[in-house]
Amino acid sequence: MNETGSRQDPWLPPLDPVTVELDVNDSLVTCTVEPRRTLADALRGAGLTGTRLGCEHGVCGACTVLLDGRPVRACLVLAVQARGSRIRTVEGLSGEREEPTGPGEYEGNGENGEPGGGARLSDVQRAFRDGGALQCGFCTPGFLMLAQGLLADEPDASAERVTDVLSSNICRCTGGVPIVSAVRAVQRARKEAGS
Amino acid sequence: MKPPPFAYARAAGVPEALALLRDAGEDAKILAGGQSLVPLMAYRLARPSHLVDIGRITTHRYVRGDGGGLRVGALVRHLELERATGLTGPWQALREAAGRIGHHPVRVRGTCGGSLAHADPSAELPVVAAALDASVTLQSADGTRTVPAADFFLAPFITALEPDEMLVEVAFPAPPPGLRSVFEEFQVHSGDFALASAAVAVALDGDGVATHVRVALGSVGPVPVRAREAEEALTGGRLTERAAAEAARLAASAAGAAAGSSAASGEVPGGGADFRRELVRTLVTRALDRLKEKS
Amino acid sequence: MNHRTPSVGTSTPRRGVDDLLTGRARYAADLDRPGQVHVRVVRSPLAHGRIAALDTAEALALPGVLAVYTADDLPDVRIPVRLPFAETAETPPLLQPPLARGTVRYVGEPVALVVAEDPYTAEDAAELVDVDIDDLDVAATMAAATAEGAPRLHESSPDNTVSTVSLRHGDVEAAFSRADVVVRERLTMHRHTAVPMETRGLLAEYEPATGLLTLWGGAKVKHFTRQALGAMLGLGPERVRVVEVHVGGGFGVRGEPYPEDFLVPFAAMRLGRPVKWTEDRAEHFVATNHAREQEHEWEIAATSDGRLLAFRDRAWCDQGAYVRSQGILPGLLPALHAAGPYRWEAFAVDSTGVLTNRTPTGTYRGPGMTEATFARERALDLLAAELGLDPAELRRRNLIPAAAMPFAFDAPEQPHVPPVRYESGDFPASFETLLDAAGYEALTRERQRLRRSGRLAGVGLAPYVEIGAVGPFEEAFVEAADDGTFTVRTGVSSLGQGVETVLAQIAADALSVPFEDVTVDFSDTTAVPMGFGAFASRSTLLAGNAIALAARDLLAKAAAEVGGDPGEVRFDRGTVRGPGGATAPAGRLPAGHGRFDKPHPGFSFGAALSLVTVDAATGAVRVLRHAVLHDVGRAVNPELVRGQLAGAASQGIGGALLEELVYDEQGQPLSTSFGDYLMPTAADLPEIDVFVVEYPTPTNPLGLKGAGESGMVGTPAAVANAVADALGAAARPVTRLPLTPGNVRELLRGTPSPQATTVHP
Repeated sequence: MNETGSRQDPWLPPLDPVTVELDVNDSLVTCTVEPRRTLADALRGAGLTGTRLGCEHGVCGACTVLLDGRPVRACLVLAVQARGSRIRTVEGLSGEREEPTGPGEYEGNGENGEPGGGARLSDVQRAFRDGGALQCGFCTPGFLMLAQGLLADEPDASAERVTDVLSSNICRCTGGVPIVSAVRAVQRARKEAGS
Repeated sequence: MKPPPFAYARAAGVPEALALLRDAGEDAKILAGGQSLVPLMAYRLARPSHLVDIGRITTHRYVRGDGGGLRVGALVRHLELERATGLTGPWQALREAAGRIGHHPVRVRGTCGGSLAHADPSAELPVVAAALDASVTLQSADGTRTVPAADFFLAPFITALEPDEMLVEVAFPAPPPGLRSVFEEFQVHSGDFALASAAVAVALDGDGVATHVRVALGSVGPVPVRAREAEEALTGGRLTERAAAEAARLAASAAGAAAGSSAASGEVPGGGADFRRELVRTLVTRALDRLKEKS
Repeated sequence: MNHRTPSVGTSTPRRGVDDLLTGRARYAADLDRPGQVHVRVVRSPLAHGRIAALDTAEALALPGVLAVYTADDLPDVRIPVRLPFAETAETPPLLQPPLARGTVRYVGEPVALVVAEDPYTAEDAAELVDVDIDDLDVAATMAAATAEGAPRLHESSPDNTVSTVSLRHGDVEAAFSRADVVVRERLTMHRHTAVPMETRGLLAEYEPATGLLTLWGGAKVKHFTRQALGAMLGLGPERVRVVEVHVGGGFGVRGEPYPEDFLVPFAAMRLGRPVKWTEDRAEHFVATNHAREQEHEWEIAATSDGRLLAFRDRAWCDQGAYVRSQGILPGLLPALHAAGPYRWEAFAVDSTGVLTNRTPTGTYRGPGMTEATFARERALDLLAAELGLDPAELRRRNLIPAAAMPFAFDAPEQPHVPPVRYESGDFPASFETLLDAAGYEALTRERQRLRRSGRLAGVGLAPYVEIGAVGPFEEAFVEAADDGTFTVRTGVSSLGQGVETVLAQIAADALSVPFEDVTVDFSDTTAVPMGFGAFASRSTLLAGNAIALAARDLLAKAAAEVGGDPGEVRFDRGTVRGPGGATAPAGRLPAGHGRFDKPHPGFSFGAALSLVTVDAATGAVRVLRHAVLHDVGRAVNPELVRGQLAGAASQGIGGALLEELVYDEQGQPLSTSFGDYLMPTAADLPEIDVFVVEYPTPTNPLGLKGAGESGMVGTPAAVANAVADALGAAARPVTRLPLTPGNVRELLRGTPSPQATTVHP
């Protein structure tokens, strides 16, 4: 479609899908996408549907993932832009800072014969669960990734800073205040554990 | 809300980006952080034929002093400016403004050059550029030119950039002695577009007399507005409460005049012209109060 | 197993929460079927006009496009009204066709449907459908629609109204003639809506061999959707299967039958391929039901010592361009809630639905009651100011006393209008509980402290009643299995509230078995009995009681097998044991069946209390404290109900301060992004104080009352009253929402403001 003339055309043509290799949760994810496909759509197309689309214009934060360790809106990143970056999604969160659950501690949900699906929850996930920081769950993965990024980047963030950063995303069910409390609880627990 | 189709190329360096840009023609766009462009494409309000991705270019990700002045590479992320604790005194407004752009994840990706080149009337960095007499360096395959901020912003979303040019740097000249700057902004809630903003820079001499004053306003006109009458009123006097109040009043009337001169001053919900004028008055008052406090 | 601690009343951890935390949960957009294709709805760009031409050729020519359908391809059907009492003689010709037939009446109205291999191509093709519209005059506001010579939206309604609900109680004229004080105000609630984080989504698959249509994604009222679709598509309802998946918030707007609920299965049947649709956010803002916009002319008659005598409420309620599946509820529900929890001698309510060239309206959490409470409680605060009476004292003197329960206004019975009858509760005691627990005295002292430091601060109150427990009935089945587990099947829906946990708690207690052994299934219309869905705070109450009855029936069937009374049989790891020692395998028992009928809805009491500050210079309102109280009858799971109350209150604060669906005078929507429609986030909200009181109702065996919406109902009114209190008598009165900074500044403009020229605190 363009006439750059060189043998190695630098342009990816608009409607020709190209193969893109992405480093997601320390695994190689290969997807075939047009240049216009967003990272969020590419991840979802690869079966990683925990990254959700709530607005596709970068405000609601449901699609938040970590890109090279920092939270970004996956709806505002093109899949082709993400080549060469480390991507973390909610699917890669379990197992982070997990703690063996003691006998009698609520672990799985037992629903539909899937006792917790075998995954252990990270401290952030557990704090969300125990703090009533989710209801419908649609925004939850985005908030978890936002919180994960903040806690790693700014472990000593002030209460005000935590509120400000967590106000990047929208939770229609709880309003977000219980999420702030959950993240503050993780901060305190990590500090006590000396990690 | 899927972007329309476009051709895409990733540039490893500025020369390659400029070559790609020239190659792609008039409807090409540079993709840096993508935090403004991609949403516009999602709403199909922008339909670039080609995107030149400069996000991986490492050579223009610097913030460095230059003979008392400051040079900021186009690919510096807002988050990096927000966290640059060395940006105090004359550069304080730059750091404060960067911290008010969008939400945290937007600041992770968004770039300084991208924000300036996008020229949204409610954007923060253009206001700071106006207050600190900055100029931008525009580069094409044919060479570079430097354009003062005042001549760069032409209309909402329109700048002096030619289709084959890239904004590579913003430079802030060496400030007059004692210059300090602050940034104030009003958003209905954090992360929103500003209803009004003000970057104010003042240099005071040993007696507390203002020797140099800049008052620049955002979200009140098609481009950043300098409140020159307010600047003149403050220059040569002390920052008394009375002087600040008068300057704020003059700034508000400058904002009103700017709003009246353009129908396309960036419609933001809940932001009538009267209200914006009031906000300007409040923001300029608050900015001057902060500048006075520290003196 | 004999002496188990009851599960009901404990905050049992919610089920299924791990799936939500790990991203494993599947919402409609996460489902895929082999061979699926994607649709995009082409929508009207104009608010009113006649379709002169519709050219689909260019769209059809785009590679990857399979079909483009217009109204000509569709049967002449309308989206029906769901609730019989929301349908009137006027509504049938005002119902919406799935694709516009000749005339478009709002921006966003579906005019064509594009089917393509992927969503990107579908969106490209939709842009290529050429819709030529001859524009007609636009009625963009209720005022414009009801003005002399207004453009007419529908042939059948010359005055652009739907129908008027009138309620009369007592002798209004006589009461007003005795009044010492009469207060009048016109109060306006603005257009805003639920905006769940998940947009709507559907996936439909038709198997020609079996003639079976499956629709994934329809939640809330899936049995009605099945029935409606069966009729519209010419299939029997038994040929339609509606499967509910995870849902990202409902709040009233999701799961109602919409035009797309017909279009998506229609395309699947036509093409013989699975068809998927995911609404995008810009579409959501014009396609999914709007809500709330109403004007109330309130007039109160009272005595000088603060006794309420009578009121008149003349209400105008925006229906948008069509009557949707919720019929006249936008006008009916505010009428039912106008009187609220007070002992009026007389009242007259006339509530009229008005058609405008904007997105149709429906119910949003606390529908009608939130608007009515705002109007009434604002008017009462104006009265309190007029009388020089503390707002709490004015309420205190007029709440219906407990001794008067059950209480009914003697309004004559009418078709379509459920009786306004309060079954139980202690309104005055509950109100005092809120004042004590939230510290009304302390909040007013805090207000004085803030005022002394130069801030604008105010306290606001709003008691209310909330309709709930809307019938007609729910059914449930309880089955025992040999492995010791129990399956409960019921027809309500889960919209992310945790109702599955609550229902399992009720079943476990009724069966005297561990909570962990009970599974609740309601997701698939082929597997569950008839049901009416999740709306009007009804799920726990109706399904819970049906489940309790079904469990009792199962115990009776077990007793027939092993001897003894139903109360004496025990389930023990898959075996049922009688008092005499006889046993039988539990799996052999027939399912227990229960049905709970609720011919009339119930009402429950609640109240909200707010402390706010206002930045006089910018008009920014900050809610410092917000408390909500509700009488839930009985709290099955206190934590979950508290979460519902706090979440609803947070939404109410957003509605009061930020959110608005704005249109220009040509009916163009200006709020189609989150940059324009501002949603509350953590930084905008206080921690919500929740107080749950329990006055069990005698009208159902479990004593439950509705609760899921209640945190909403009094919240905008309490915030509005608090802001009005903060602004003071010198400012213009708060008569409309939202109280955005710009709107608050407008109220303050011209008044001496202590901060306008002083420094930032």
